[in-house]
Amino acid sequence: MSRCVQSSGRMLIVSAACLTLSACITSRIEDAREGMTGIEGDEAVVILAKSYHLGNETEDKYINCIEDALARGSKGLRVIPHKQFVDSLFPWFEPRTAPAETKGLPKLMGRPGVAERIADQNVRYIIWLDGDTDRVAGGGSLSCAAGPGGGGCFGFAWWTNDADYNASVWDLKGLESAGTVTADVSGTSFLPALVIPIPLIARARAAACKGLAQQLRTFIVDDPGV
Amino acid sequence: MRAKIRSLIGGALLAVLATGCGSHVTLDPPTIPTPLIDKMPLSIALRIPSEFEHFVHEDEVLGREHWTIDLGRSNAALFTQLLGFMFEEVTILGPDDDAGILSIDALIEPSIDAFEFSVPSQSKTDTYAVWIRYRVKVYDSAGDLFANWPLSAYGKSEQTGLTGEAPLKRAAVLAMRDAAALMIMNLDKSTAISSLKDRPAVAVSAAAQVEAEAEIEAETEAIAEEQAPQTPQRREVVLPPPGPVSGPAELSMGPDDDDHSGSVLEGKDDE
Repeated sequence: MSRCVQSSGRMLIVSAACLTLSACITSRIEDAREGMTGIEGDEAVVILAKSYHLGNETEDKYINCIEDALARGSKGLRVIPHKQFVDSLFPWFEPRTAPAETKGLPKLMGRPGVAERIADQNVRYIIWLDGDTDRVAGGGSLSCAAGPGGGGCFGFAWWTNDADYNASVWDLKGLESAGTVTADVSGTSFLPALVIPIPLIARARAAACKGLAQQLRTFIVDDPGV
Repeated sequence: MRAKIRSLIGGALLAVLATGCGSHVTLDPPTIPTPLIDKMPLSIALRIPSEFEHFVHEDEVLGREHWTIDLGRSNAALFTQLLGFMFEEVTILGPDDDAGILSIDALIEPSIDAFEFSVPSQSKTDTYAVWIRYRVKVYDSAGDLFANWPLSAYGKSEQTGLTGEAPLKRAAVLAMRDAAALMIMNLDKSTAISSLKDRPAVAVSAAAQVEAEAEIEAETEAIAEEQAPQTPQRREVVLPPPGPVSGPAELSMGPDDDDHSGSVLEGKDDE
């Protein structure tokens, strides 16, 4: 009987913890427009990471996530997979050779076969991603033990991840910058443990992906001048 | 049944521990996409030294993890493919093949000066990185060293999975691809290889050189005999550089030296 009461007590505490604690996410998505945008139905976009030669550490996972999010849905954009685009234009979009500024676009387009290859794929916008997700703070302590009668954990841990990304949109029609979209997401995760650890994870990178993709779609499709 | 499960778990743990102590990475020959470039109208030969074709790097990271990275044929495959894209005619030579019998504009001989890598435990990041420092020597049609170009390539890959083999392989392949991009962009700029097109051979073979030396010596003796009563004067004779039989000539030239019959372009190190 007492065992049952003890077990119910634990469940109650765990449930209370679940209800009172939840992961926190704060996000700020902004854009800065430099020119008119818009996209035709058969035109495509490409998502690329800025060069790691310049210290950029944008994760492959994040690029794939943005590609999927932009292409998804009935109003999805036509997205050319970044590997396919880079291979088709080898060696002009390699980390070492890719243009760092729109100033380099006319010269790039003048190289043999480049303009034709881009036109074949009907790429209208190149979106350059810069940034990464870092753990910026953390604390608490959690210990686990196991014995012949069973095991369990006790304690509390927390950490904060900061996902900070910047997307520069280049318009290949006018060979100019269309503007930038930024996502700054901070997420604090908690891990309370009372016998069983209950992870309350704040997915900062996923939130930054969703927010940036939504804003990018609005930025490219919607023209404020219309 | 329990014993079986235990042994399976034990085996898995041992495997994890073993991979934690070090790794052996063998690279498969990479392929590069067809580059968007115009081919150089040169006929070249590519000599692949055996140490380049079977390059193995061994290292101990922080005194704990032992890494063996076997680049195998990957570099030879890369350069064969790359030069095939860059030049109109390419002949592949083995380490001991004689290029003298070929009618070529230039001979290219790559080598690896250094190979370095870093793993997450060193860099305190989630990435594996590889640096390869290549050296590309360009010989003219006579077999003289024409240019000597060191180039550094870099590749980086994120950590995926439990072991570091896959990301390290990927970082190495990316470094090779980086080297290919650098070669396409800067080979001609750094070595002036295109100036070797149809350049007449200036050197002679070692045997012909010995013959020429003997002739000059005899001529000098005859002149000396004729001028015996006068003060002996030394005749300056500029000999052609040694040919391919006597090995490549390492010529270094100061800005004011103008009495060399050839010069070596020391390519800029492209980081």
